[in-house]
Amino acid sequence: MSRTPSEAMPPECVPPESVIAKAPAAAAGALVEVRDLTWRPFGRREPVLAGISLHIEAGARVMLAGPSGSGKSTLLRALAGVLTTTETGILTGSVLIDGSPSAGSSVGLMVQDPADALVAGRVGRDVAFGPESFGMPRDQIWSRVRSALASVGFPYDEDHPTNALSGGETQRLALAGVLALTPRLVLLDEPTSMLDPQAAAVVREAITAAVRASGATLVMVEHQLTDWVDEVDRLVVLDLTGRVSADGPVAATLARSADSLAAQGVWVPGVAAPRPLDVARELCTPTLAGGSGSPGGSGSHGSPGGPGGPGGPGGGVLVSAESVSVLRRPRVSVMSANRPATAVQALLNVRADVSAGECVAIVGPSGAGKSTLTALLSGVDAPTQGLVRAGDVLMVGNVGLGGLGANPPADIDRWTSRALAARFGWVPQQAEQAVVARTVRGDVLSTSRHLGLDDDAAQTRVDGLLEVLGLSALSSADPHHLSGGEQRRLALAGAIAHGPSVLVLDEPTVGQDRLTWSAVAGVVVAARDAGIGVVLATHDPLLIALADRRITLRAGRIDSGPLLDSGPLADPGPLVDSEPLVDSGPLADPGRVGRWRGLAGRSGPLSLLLASIVLVLGAPFISDLRTALIAIGVQIAVASIVLGIGRPPWRRLLPGLFAVASVSFSNWLLSPGHEVSAGALAGLRVAFFVVPGVLLASRIDPSALGDHLGQRLRLPARPVVAAVAALHRFEGLGEHWDQLSRIRRVRGLGPGRSPLGRGRSVAALTFGLLIQTLRQAGRMAVAMEARGFSAGVASTAAGSTASILVPRRTWAAPAPWRASDSLMLALGLIVAGIPVFLSRL
Amino acid sequence: MKEQRTAAVPAQTAAPTSRTAQATTIATRPLMGWRGVDLITAAMLAVAFGVMFWGFDTFIYPILSTLTTGFPPAGELMLGVWLVPAVVGGLVIRRPGAALFTELVAANVELFLGNKWGAAVLLSGLLQGLGVELALALFRHRRFGVVVAVLGGILAAVFEIVFYEWHSYVAEYSTAWKAIYLGCGMVSGAIIAGGGGWALVRGLAGTGALNAFPPGQEVREPHPV
Repeated sequence: MSRTPSEAMPPECVPPESVIAKAPAAAAGALVEVRDLTWRPFGRREPVLAGISLHIEAGARVMLAGPSGSGKSTLLRALAGVLTTTETGILTGSVLIDGSPSAGSSVGLMVQDPADALVAGRVGRDVAFGPESFGMPRDQIWSRVRSALASVGFPYDEDHPTNALSGGETQRLALAGVLALTPRLVLLDEPTSMLDPQAAAVVREAITAAVRASGATLVMVEHQLTDWVDEVDRLVVLDLTGRVSADGPVAATLARSADSLAAQGVWVPGVAAPRPLDVARELCTPTLAGGSGSPGGSGSHGSPGGPGGPGGPGGGVLVSAESVSVLRRPRVSVMSANRPATAVQALLNVRADVSAGECVAIVGPSGAGKSTLTALLSGVDAPTQGLVRAGDVLMVGNVGLGGLGANPPADIDRWTSRALAARFGWVPQQAEQAVVARTVRGDVLSTSRHLGLDDDAAQTRVDGLLEVLGLSALSSADPHHLSGGEQRRLALAGAIAHGPSVLVLDEPTVGQDRLTWSAVAGVVVAARDAGIGVVLATHDPLLIALADRRITLRAGRIDSGPLLDSGPLADPGPLVDSEPLVDSGPLADPGRVGRWRGLAGRSGPLSLLLASIVLVLGAPFISDLRTALIAIGVQIAVASIVLGIGRPPWRRLLPGLFAVASVSFSNWLLSPGHEVSAGALAGLRVAFFVVPGVLLASRIDPSALGDHLGQRLRLPARPVVAAVAALHRFEGLGEHWDQLSRIRRVRGLGPGRSPLGRGRSVAALTFGLLIQTLRQAGRMAVAMEARGFSAGVASTAAGSTASILVPRRTWAAPAPWRASDSLMLALGLIVAGIPVFLSRL
Repeated sequence: MKEQRTAAVPAQTAAPTSRTAQATTIATRPLMGWRGVDLITAAMLAVAFGVMFWGFDTFIYPILSTLTTGFPPAGELMLGVWLVPAVVGGLVIRRPGAALFTELVAANVELFLGNKWGAAVLLSGLLQGLGVELALALFRHRRFGVVVAVLGGILAAVFEIVFYEWHSYVAEYSTAWKAIYLGCGMVSGAIIAGGGGWALVRGLAGTGALNAFPPGQEVREPHPV
């Protein structure tokens, strides 16, 4: 066993046909042999995995359990051979799959968040990623894709857009993407942790059926053992030192170690549910309450306390949503050529109110609008119709600098950042994005400091909250280094430390073990008892049980079940499915059918791109006004042939026309002798390539362009594939940006009106977005490598003697070059050649 | 020791270069042996910058360009903003082609969103990326400090202006104004792209977000065990 991993690459001479099993359903499971596996990432003193040895029989179904931080996910990544994709460190020991150290397509890993595994805009293309990576011929790819989708019971066909899927559907899609490689070892990392109970049950069934049918060996990690004990036959328990502490048949091992597992925080069946921790009420007192009641923690800047302040239970209404609707329009997208232009009705005529000293649970299936409603109730989002109004008790008094000013708007989404922060606390579902400072303690303190609260009192309160939530030891750590569960608790501390009157929490218990669950629930209970109005959007039945009442949402409306509290008896609508009201009907614009769409409409992406580029190259040859006018005249003459008949898309052209105008002006101004003709010439020269270029580019589908660049131009496949996968994240990254700015606003860090403040805010958002981007890229890389992204280059990278095992990457979609493409390119060359030709005359 | 995939070999720590006291971590060899995570990260960084470009083009650029109407070369003081992806991509990945790839993907984002220059953004992206590549290659991909970053920003601006903008956007300017225009672009490339890009990478490394890359390894333990 050598020290450096790269030294001991054994020459592998597996014949290419065994790289991917030919049969759609691989025959048997793989035998897994882990010997003395030890992994210490650089920067850590203790190993995460310490001498793990496991012998897993072919076809066995193994559950890995253990407390947070015991290395379960790390072990899965080691089994999949992707441990060193994003991490560096010292890895010793060995993993043998059927006696071979090379994982290849025989191992499939499903990562925790299925959204990280998405690589394509269409369902079929996404599933095809693995087979493409391993060089499967195109005709086989599609039969493999269809059988993989069928094996997980996927409800849509291959053309369905991946951005219109629910969480459960995305998880099943990710499973299909793993199964498309017919792995003999299937590795699942918390496959249902992000899902509501119904969706989790569907995914669980899909996994069980598909794995049973394939006969593959299964190794999975789950926090919640209860639902899985019947589906697995062996339980391996890891402890916090990264060693195996128990191993054996499920029932016997559970009986032996249930209590110790529960004591370490693992959710085990048969052990009583945890209880909320007893948390001092003073840590949660609303600052707006002023001196009324409990003095602890509230700053000296506290208001004199309005009449009937929200100081105690049974106070007045703090916030009410009056018949609010939210219609989500599609974001600006780089995928303009093939996007469904549909809006989603996220909420429809919903009424909800929250009073001081009560805890309201918003429940309902995924996609029902819970997160949307919580965003409204915390003032970080505005409804498209209706009004979210603060109760009178919130409209008086100042919290430090968080005053409302003279004429405060009734709708809380228009309040200033500080006024909002002084009254509301919000923890978003993506709590990992809620970081606003460089250290854990600084993060929790920051809102109090921005509101100018008494610093000593604020520090006392912050330290108390960190202690309760188990973050004291991390108080000087960078928040980005925390685990997901820790970041969620940090976000909770940050949302409540400054003493808001309304606390809105979106899935606060996700990723928490039994111990930290108690702490989070304890803070919720203490906040309610201290007079805060608490709103919880959650799937967690234990947390729902703590609430005073619930609001059930279904498909964006209030569901009038027996436990309904408020709101009109709205038409329950189609309750059968848990989908948002998304109309993902025919994707092709029906208006275009049967209409002459021009040569561009019949051309592929490559000819459109090349034609646009040759115009750029021809433009510098325009040396006089006559040439410019002739060239642009020809363009106008052929415009309807190329672009089809219809109104020009002025909105899309506007920036380009603005650019033409500004080029004309500046060239007139700075030309020798202020010549008008010089300005006109410069403007026309730019218009020559800008206007057609913008119009042609709008017809290019980036995914199809990737296929063409890879197949027609033979560009290296991996950069092209990486670029296309990243382009699909554009909308998601735009949403990240919005979310970061919402968080900063509700934490009192909004930009304000000064240019300097705005500049600082943009800088902070940029930095935050880049951090999220880098982390997401790392998770994507793990998921993509697990599906063979680098399979074709792996054996040659080290310059080893190994013969190339994996054939070149194939492309599931063809890249046809038709007569119309040749015509398009020829036309581009002719038009671009006009200035060249005229300049030679 | 059996390692499953050679594409993901832990980075080696290079010997410190003779001129700097601080150790510079270089990318794993072979230098052109791009790991999957290198490609995906460069592409994702580019798309994130694309998101910001979109915001900049939509909300900020119109205001600034109106303000600079009286003195158009001052508008070129914003050029550096568009060069940041190339500098950041090059400094993070530290492989030949990283700056070019990042800048080209970012340019594609602008193209597909619908921008004001059409397919010319691809030409700009190519030239800007090549400028930074040249600066990194001059130091043989062994140094990635602020000097290299600033040089990269300047060369990116020079390539963009001399090989493209002089012949299109400002073709009718007098020679003196063309020179002033170039000077503004170089200042912007040096400060915003060079200095700003370098500071951004350092800041990101400090958060642990670059742990899979040489800059992240520099701020952690330089020598394991």
